[in-house]
Amino acid sequence: MNTTAQTGQKFNYFFGLINLVAVFCIVWLLWYVFMNPNTVMKLYTPMYGFSLVVGFLAAIVLLNNVAGGYPFPEVSTQRFGPVQRGIAMTVVAVLLMLFLVYIFFWGFIGKFGIAYFSPQSIIASGGQGAEIFNARENASTAIVYYFTAFLLVALFWSTGFDRWPWQNDDRGVTAWSRLFAVTFFSSIIYILLFHPHVCYLFYPAQDKAGVESWWADFAGTGSAFFGLGLVLCVLFWIVASDLLWDGYPWKYLEKEGESTWAKGVVVFIVTFVLGVIVLFVLMQIMNYFWDEAFMGGQYTDGPDFRFIHAGEICGFFILAAFILKHYFNNFPNLNSLWVGAAIRTILAMAGGMLFYWFYYSPLATFFLAKVPGVAQPGDTSLVWTILFLSVIMVQTDFFEGWPLKKR
Amino acid sequence: MKRRTFLKSLAATGVATSLTGAGALTREARARKKINFGEVKSVRVDVLSETSWFDNDNLKKHMLDYGGAMTNQYNIPWDWDNAGGYMALLTVTTLEGKERKILLDSGWNNDWVDYIYEKNNIPAMLKSGEIEFMVISHWHLDHYWGIESTLKHKPDITMYAPKTYYPEDMALLKGAHLTAKNKEGEDVHVCKNDVPHTGKLILCDPDGEKDGIYNPMPGVAIRNFDVPILLRVRGENVFYFNVKDKGIVTVTGCCHPGLLSLFSYARKNFEGYKPYGCYGGLHITLFETWDPKFDDIIKGVKAFKIQKLACNHCTGWIWAEKAAAAGIPVVKGTDKYKSYKRQSTVATASNAFLTNGDHVIF
Repeated sequence: MNTTAQTGQKFNYFFGLINLVAVFCIVWLLWYVFMNPNTVMKLYTPMYGFSLVVGFLAAIVLLNNVAGGYPFPEVSTQRFGPVQRGIAMTVVAVLLMLFLVYIFFWGFIGKFGIAYFSPQSIIASGGQGAEIFNARENASTAIVYYFTAFLLVALFWSTGFDRWPWQNDDRGVTAWSRLFAVTFFSSIIYILLFHPHVCYLFYPAQDKAGVESWWADFAGTGSAFFGLGLVLCVLFWIVASDLLWDGYPWKYLEKEGESTWAKGVVVFIVTFVLGVIVLFVLMQIMNYFWDEAFMGGQYTDGPDFRFIHAGEICGFFILAAFILKHYFNNFPNLNSLWVGAAIRTILAMAGGMLFYWFYYSPLATFFLAKVPGVAQPGDTSLVWTILFLSVIMVQTDFFEGWPLKKR
Repeated sequence: MKRRTFLKSLAATGVATSLTGAGALTREARARKKINFGEVKSVRVDVLSETSWFDNDNLKKHMLDYGGAMTNQYNIPWDWDNAGGYMALLTVTTLEGKERKILLDSGWNNDWVDYIYEKNNIPAMLKSGEIEFMVISHWHLDHYWGIESTLKHKPDITMYAPKTYYPEDMALLKGAHLTAKNKEGEDVHVCKNDVPHTGKLILCDPDGEKDGIYNPMPGVAIRNFDVPILLRVRGENVFYFNVKDKGIVTVTGCCHPGLLSLFSYARKNFEGYKPYGCYGGLHITLFETWDPKFDDIIKGVKAFKIQKLACNHCTGWIWAEKAAAAGIPVVKGTDKYKSYKRQSTVATASNAFLTNGDHVIF
């Protein structure tokens, strides 16, 4: 993400639109090659493909938001231009994704520590359902959840604490310190919100390793989709405040242009409360369209589906916010920051609903080979949304907006 | 803290409701008048075959190798030797005491379906018209691809099927030989039908013929739920029976819409709704694996107070066993299936499934 103030130069919205169409086509091509169930790689099983896509986004965020671009130059230079910088960082992000999924989780943590992170370890443990398809899906589920916790903490840290308390240290120290801090808190979030679910993906349940989902009674489901939906609703506000509100009102808590402890705490509390509110509102809207969900209901009647669907909707909002910021110059740029911010937020939500309409229309059947209809088991719009976001972030952060924006 | 309490405590913030005005909203379904589709004296379900495939791992491997659960089922060169099929014979006793028969689904592997039909005298019932009509629950391979085995005895049988068919589904019904390419690029036979259907075809959608249902005889309703299903399939037809003095019974092929969603629909739409029982695949632990949401279904079934739960096929043995252990009235099967020429590799001694050769009466 980039909160740099607008340049004031005239922005060509038509070029922005062309750029968006080009990115859409790139996403479609990537989907066709890697995810489309009728073509080449067929990775959308769905969790296996999901783990790779969210792993790629996590790698981008790690390089960009956590490491602050380190060890690459902070911005492109005469000798290391945006294209060279973009290609190098993209290659590193892909390698990092492959490293994290296949070596760190499958080959290291899953092999020597927590078996459910590795398909091979699940199969080796034997028992009910311990075969490659199911084992890979279960390991991928755990990896998706870990990366989700990582994205929450990393993006929160970037918006809330930013360089605090390492603002006086060099880039290397800040990058490594933030990585350890973010990883530590990600692990805590993962343990609390997702680990109980993963432990109960097996028969018999791994009840000495994880407690039964503590949220089951009030959420109406033992599924960790509860936590996934909540995290994504919170993330929407983190992204909206960072991109669409130009980092306000949090900036009022900065000292000499640097984040403070108080700023981080306030960002955490306020975005969490706003996330809970938007989750509640979305659940109420779904109740209106599909009646109240009930424990054990399936498809649109299932509380688990309602929670992940709230997260999917916020995913669309986040995608639209990125597009508004990067391809439409955060329109409208008014004198009043708050009127502008309110309009942008509404535009992001409206844009998100356009994506919602697209994803559940016959167009998605044509472009993505998706079965028409809502609540398809084994289908989540998050995979396509995250792939789209990743391509946008690669362009805007690694390539510094090239070719739309030229330094 | 219960969910209600949790939601109420959230509502106390006073923000969300004012944004949505949700409290003032009324659902069309709530306002709609309830349907009375008649009553039957009883309904008997004979399990012709619930073993759609014999080895789970073999089936899953084919799905995995050819793109996973979202792949078009016609693009996978399935292992013919692993194919079985799902079929059930429903016998309705009317309030006047007359017995009327319905065939649910037509299996997959024609050799297996023929074997099962002969064992249960189905060819004679089809030829004589004793079986009045058939229902294709959905267009999945294991419920539909064996259609030739039915049509060769009664090509003009009246058929209810979901309106959400794909071109390959209809081609097969009209007569076709379909193949899929394997990894080596060779065409592999996946299904065939040399006997085109000539009878009345009623393509079902959620609007129904009236009030959202089809009502082929008093006390029997067919309802189409337009839900997306694995392997690029859409929509499932389910049976509702209103059994006099007992209540609503659902009979399903796979129950993709969800058992409790079917009862929820009945609760909202049927006059004098009283839950009683269910039969069929319930589509829960399809591949004998677990997920916390399956525990949700056990808790939900208890809350809905279903009194007689007979299940098999895609329900999953482990769910049926856990449900029985949790106090749900699961109808136990017998060992008759062991006398059949093939058995599923996941069958256990618990008899938690009503399996091949068993029956249940509601």
